[in-house]
Amino acid sequence: MDPLLYVFDVVVYVGIFGMLALSLNLEFGFTGLANFGKVAFFLIGAYTYGLLSQIGIPFYVCLIAGASISAAFGFLISLPALRLRADYLAIVVLTFGEILRLIVKNEDWIAGGDWGISVSRAISLAGASPRVNALVNIGLVYLCLGICFFVLQLLANSPYGRTMRAIREDEIAAEALGKDRAKYKAQVFMLGSAVAGVAGGLYAQYLQCVLPGMFMPMVTFTVWMMVLLGGPANNKGVLLGAVLVEIFDRGANIAKDYLTLPVDPANLQYILFGVLIILVLFYRPQGLLKESPVTTKALELVRNDRSAVKSNGKQ
Amino acid sequence: MTINWAQVLFNSVVTGSFYLIGAVGITLTYGLSNFPNFAHAELITSGAFIGYMVAEQLGLGIPVALVISFLCTGIVGLLCYRCIFQPLAKKGATIIHLMVASIALGFILRHSIGAVWSWEPLYFTSTWRAFTVGPLRVTWLWLGLIFAALSLATAMHFVLVKTKIGKAIRATSSNPELALASGINIDKVIWVTWFIGAGLAGIAGIFRGADTQIWPMTGWDAILPIFAVAVLGGIGNFYGAIAAAFIIGLAENIGVVGLTILGLSTTYRIGIAFLILIITLIVRPQGLAMLFRRT
Repeated sequence: MDPLLYVFDVVVYVGIFGMLALSLNLEFGFTGLANFGKVAFFLIGAYTYGLLSQIGIPFYVCLIAGASISAAFGFLISLPALRLRADYLAIVVLTFGEILRLIVKNEDWIAGGDWGISVSRAISLAGASPRVNALVNIGLVYLCLGICFFVLQLLANSPYGRTMRAIREDEIAAEALGKDRAKYKAQVFMLGSAVAGVAGGLYAQYLQCVLPGMFMPMVTFTVWMMVLLGGPANNKGVLLGAVLVEIFDRGANIAKDYLTLPVDPANLQYILFGVLIILVLFYRPQGLLKESPVTTKALELVRNDRSAVKSNGKQ
Repeated sequence: MTINWAQVLFNSVVTGSFYLIGAVGITLTYGLSNFPNFAHAELITSGAFIGYMVAEQLGLGIPVALVISFLCTGIVGLLCYRCIFQPLAKKGATIIHLMVASIALGFILRHSIGAVWSWEPLYFTSTWRAFTVGPLRVTWLWLGLIFAALSLATAMHFVLVKTKIGKAIRATSSNPELALASGINIDKVIWVTWFIGAGLAGIAGIFRGADTQIWPMTGWDAILPIFAVAVLGGIGNFYGAIAAAFIIGLAENIGVVGLTILGLSTTYRIGIAFLILIITLIVRPQGLAMLFRRT
C-alpha cells in the first residue's frame, strides 16, 4: 500500500474519532454524563448519511440530517434516565446501542443487513488520483472537526460551560441556584449526539460503506480511552488522546505482523487496551492534560484591571 | 397457529431461573459497592468455560463442574474487587470511573478467555434428551436449572434472614456508616458478597453454556436482561430480584410468541427487557424494592 495513503488514512481516522472524543468530552468531561452508547449515535449518523446519499441528496444535507436525527434519538433515549443517577443512563444507552446494531443487522430492508450498503464519497473529483481524493477527505473532515472544536471551545468558556461544570460537580447545588439540571443535561446530550452523528456521516462516506460490524461496543470504549487518556474537560487534551490512541492502535496492528507471539495478537490488542485504561484510571485519572481553566473576555478584563491597579499602587 | 401456553409458562420459569441466578451477584454487589459491574458478563463467561474445562476436558461431569466453577469464578470476582475496584474507590474514583474500569476489566477477561479457548463456539457433549410431561416438552437440564434457582432462593433467604453474615450484608447495603459503627467489618461483608455473587454468575454461566453455546460472548449476550432484572427488582434487593427475574422471563417468552406472530426475528427478545428497563426507569426507578420493605 502507498505509505502516503496510509498516513492520510491515519489522519482521517484521528479527525473522525477526534470529533467523537470531543462529543464525549462535552457529555462526560464537562457535564459528568456517562454515555456508554456513543457508538449508537455514530451508527445513526452513518446510516442516515448512507441511506440519504443513495437517493441523491447532497452531502452537507445528509450530514446535517444525520446530526439532527442523532440528536433527536439522543433526546428520546436520555429522557427517562436524566433525572436519575449516572449509572442508569449508562445502562440504558449501552443497551440502546446494542439493540440498534441488532436491528440494522436483522432488518435487511433498512440497509442490507449484515452486508451493509455502499456509500459514495461526499466529494469525488473526476479523474483525481487516490492521494488527491484522500486529501480532499482530510480537508472535509478537518473542516468539520475545526467547526466542532471552535463551537465546543466557545461553549466551554461561556456561562453555559460554567453551568455544565457546576452540574458535574454538584447537581443539587446547581439546581438550588436555579439551573434546571434535566434541561441542561438533555441539551448537552443532544449536542453531543449531533456531533457524533456528523462524525458517523463522515465515517460512512470515507469508508464508502456502512455495515453493522463497524459499530461494535469497542468503538465506544476506544473513544472513552481517548477522553480519559487525553484529559477530561480539556478539548485540546482529548484531541491529543485521539492522536495517541490511534497511533497505539495502528502501532499494535503493524507490530503484530512482525512479532510471533504465543497469544493471538487480536486478543492481545484488546487486553492491552483494557490494561492501559485501568492504569490510566489508577495513576492519572485527570488525564495527560489537566482540565482547562475557564477563559473569558470578562475574566481577562478583571485580571488586567487587577494588574493595572497593582502597577499603579507601586508607582 | 396454536400456542402451547403451558409451554410458554414453563419456558418463562426456565428463563427466569437463569436470570435469577445471574442477577443475584449483580444486584447485591451493585447495592453494596454502588456501581454496576459490567464485568459480571465476563464472570458468567468464565464460569461457562471453567465448567466446560472440568466437565468435558477433564471429564469429571457436570455436578463437579458446578462446584469448581462456583469456587473459581468466586475467587476471580473477589480478586477483581480486591485488586481493582476497591483500590480505585479508595483513591476517590467516581462511579463513572468504576464503570469504565469494569468495562475495561470485561475486555481483559473476555479476550483472555478468547486467547485461551479461541473464539470458536464450544458445546457440552452430554445431551439432554427432551421428554414430554403432559403438554410440556422438558429436559433434565431445565429441571436442574429450576431446581438450582429454587434452592438458591431458599438458601439466600435463609442466609439473609437467619445468619450473622446475611444480616451484616443487609445492614451494610442499607447504611454502611451505621453498619460500621455497629462493629460490622464492612470490608469482609463486601468481600463475601462479591465472592458469592461472582460464584453464582459462574453457575449461571454453566447452565447458559449447556443450554446454548459457550464462547467469549456468552455472558455479554445475557447481561442486558440481567441488568434489567437488577433495576426492576430494585438495586440491592434480593426479593425484588426474584420477582423481577420471573416477570422478565415471562415477558420475554410472551414477547417471543408475539415476535413470531409478527414475523420478526426472535433475537429482538433482548428488546423486551430493554422496554421493561425504560418503563421501570420512567414509572418506578426504585424498582419493586418498596414492595418488600419489611423483609
